[in-house]
Amino acid sequence: MSNTDVVAEVRAGTKRYPGVTALSDVDFAVRRGEVRALLGKNGAGKSTLIKVLSGAEHLDSGEALVRGKPLAGLGTRDVAALGVATVYQELSLVPEMTVAENLFLGAWPRSRGALDLRRMRAEAKEAMARIGVDIDVDSPVGSLGSAGQQLVEIARAVAQRPTLLILDEPTSSLAAAEVRQVIDVVRTVAEQGVAVIYVSHRMDEIRQVADTATVVRDGRIVETLPVRTASTHEIVAMMLGTAPEAVAARTRRPSAEPPVLSARGLVSDRLNGLDIDVRPGEILGIAGVLGSGRTETLRALVGLDRPASGEIRLRGEAVRPGAFAAMLARGLGMTPENRRREGIVPLMGVDENIVISDLRRVSRSGVLDRRAIRQAARALIDRLAIKTARPGTPIGTLSGGNQQKAVLARWLHAGSDVLLLDEPTRGVDVEAKRQIYDQMRLLADDGRAVVFVSSEVEELADVCDRIVVLRGGRAVAELSGDEIELNRVMALAIAEE
Amino acid sequence: MSTTTPTGPPVAKADARGGRLGRNTQRLNEIGLIGAIVVLFVVLSATAPGFLSVTNQLAILRDAATIGVVAWAMTLVIVAGEIDISIGPAVAFSSVLLAKASGEWHIPFALAVLVCLAVGLLLGAGAGFLRARWGIPSFVATLGLWSALRGLAQYMTDGLPVPLEANGFLDVLAGSVLGIPTPAIIMAILFVVFLFVANRTAYGRSVFAVGGNAEAARLAGINVSRIRVILFATTGLLAAVSGLLLAARLGSGNGGASVGLEFDVIAAVVIGGTSLAGGKGSLLGTLLGVAFITVIGNGLVLLGVNAFFQDVVRGVIIVGAVLINVLLSKRNGARSS
Repeated sequence: MSNTDVVAEVRAGTKRYPGVTALSDVDFAVRRGEVRALLGKNGAGKSTLIKVLSGAEHLDSGEALVRGKPLAGLGTRDVAALGVATVYQELSLVPEMTVAENLFLGAWPRSRGALDLRRMRAEAKEAMARIGVDIDVDSPVGSLGSAGQQLVEIARAVAQRPTLLILDEPTSSLAAAEVRQVIDVVRTVAEQGVAVIYVSHRMDEIRQVADTATVVRDGRIVETLPVRTASTHEIVAMMLGTAPEAVAARTRRPSAEPPVLSARGLVSDRLNGLDIDVRPGEILGIAGVLGSGRTETLRALVGLDRPASGEIRLRGEAVRPGAFAAMLARGLGMTPENRRREGIVPLMGVDENIVISDLRRVSRSGVLDRRAIRQAARALIDRLAIKTARPGTPIGTLSGGNQQKAVLARWLHAGSDVLLLDEPTRGVDVEAKRQIYDQMRLLADDGRAVVFVSSEVEELADVCDRIVVLRGGRAVAELSGDEIELNRVMALAIAEE
Repeated sequence: MSTTTPTGPPVAKADARGGRLGRNTQRLNEIGLIGAIVVLFVVLSATAPGFLSVTNQLAILRDAATIGVVAWAMTLVIVAGEIDISIGPAVAFSSVLLAKASGEWHIPFALAVLVCLAVGLLLGAGAGFLRARWGIPSFVATLGLWSALRGLAQYMTDGLPVPLEANGFLDVLAGSVLGIPTPAIIMAILFVVFLFVANRTAYGRSVFAVGGNAEAARLAGINVSRIRVILFATTGLLAAVSGLLLAARLGSGNGGASVGLEFDVIAAVVIGGTSLAGGKGSLLGTLLGVAFITVIGNGLVLLGVNAFFQDVVRGVIIVGAVLINVLLSKRNGARSS
């Protein structure tokens, strides 16, 4: 490819923040029509690189160029005018407004001072057509699912006719089935000659969407390689800076013990006669596509939802459905799918976020014991390798992976021996993912029951001792030990009724 | 004279802070408030005749209690992301209830006091229940109380004060113990109690957790509904206590009293750095907020400022204080990111 195809470029770029070198002598270029995946664990320098290219940060040395024009001294607006559009992880839409209004938020077409609704709708339709998506532009954004909202975000960026489109983890809040839609849209946009930088932690989707991948570690570019030829383990090893062997070898040990928690014939909105057995000493994976009833299964088991019918037994005894507090008291614990909305109390310290699940354990005659809180939190912070400046640091300032580990630690503090983990690795970087897998293994070895729900079949196949596949609110298959193979699980999950 | 300033009992610094984010901001805010109160003292002692006199200082303490007794409970309500605007009418209603019950209805005085406290508690718990059980916004639930209690208090008395027969109990409430006004002593005791509850009990920490993220708190096993009911029951109870103090002070039950008290209380809490968005706040801050508002009010009276214009000045000062607080936390946030 000729050099004229290069849309954006960083030459010998270095950026320092107090105490860290975020980018160190980085050379990076992306061409028209290329989808470039940007990989690396949190803090590797991905965000800094994106910020430099979007004009939000400036290099200390070296230069950044977009369409041959140096970005030094330009603000984000100037860079946007050069054709750089960025879609960030957090959605920035107004749920109550329609798709069309959101697409032109703040820059609504006007004629003689009033909104030109007809033009706005026409242009909105055109923008949706351009990314090949069929969404009614008159429906409120809040009525769309997360995938639909993400597509509207992308459509809004594409409507500015960018030459470089930067997507920062566009799928981190989406389930596997929805990811497909985003991938298709990104491919469509790239085919129109737009250069795309795509940040994600999900290897399987990177394979589908990207042509090339740049792996970043400790502020340096480790390598840029075609994604088709590289193996996942090779790339993960590059991100972590370890040998690939460390990722591979593992053993599966399905448990032969009687189930600690079991359900028969659960029926609710999304469940349709679900049977499941959770055994101590193993990691039980729950696979299934979006809407197959994964989250609903966990919520019914832990007593957050009350099924219309069916029976739940804990240690052989029938329990009253929907008795959440009683289930927690009897050793269940659940980490929710949406960490930010349902998991953490952002302003509170990591320590209090951990011990909150059982304050009696850190109290003496009804009075909280500061030293006990500190000790309990400290022990779990060390055990789970939670990276935090102090135990009292507000958890909202931590990375997603460390927040997730703290939410898990909550149930270790409470001494729960049945752990229901809903998407514990979503939006978590590779290093934290590994640590979470390791913890699940340790807990299972310790004789606890771990239930692992994930929309990434790859990690289920990698980690679990037994996998139950859900479809349409029922358990349709169970694989145990060596029966577990990625292709088999995948096929079972997406098979037609 | 500074020993009689209403800065309350000495407290361990770490105990007084609730939320941890913006701990520095909170500290800056508290230091700023202390500075502002010191400046007020210096300016007022130079300009307002009699400001530093023992009588006036004791009067400031007594006035502070009018706000302070409820403000501690209100701090927790606001930390939980809720609001209770029914305070003024609840206080007036409680004073009327005491006068009616012990007078016209011939209920023995001690029992009448208990009835007042119980009714206050139940009314608050009712508002809390509306919030917890049906998700009615607490602003609306307590707006209902605000209107109904004021109306009821005025209706029961035809808008006229109902005299109370003097007795020893009322004399003590209206008087002083060892030279310190009784309301101020009650306020100080309640402050210590709330400081302890907020920071050292599971209930207190749960309030912060609910305010920070109610859904996360629920999934962590906290009974969020129970917390919400207790919060409003507490403000209801303390509004009733305030009502008793008011009745003792006036010697009557007065349905038209305490107009706008809820806003003084909320202003004190917010000036003290507690976030209306919930999850973050401090009782020490509220204590300083109460002191700040009371000293300003006292100074304006001593300086002979027109009574209507006093409200203008207070309005400007309240918004100004919160603005400074917001700017401080923005600067602090920018630096730490």
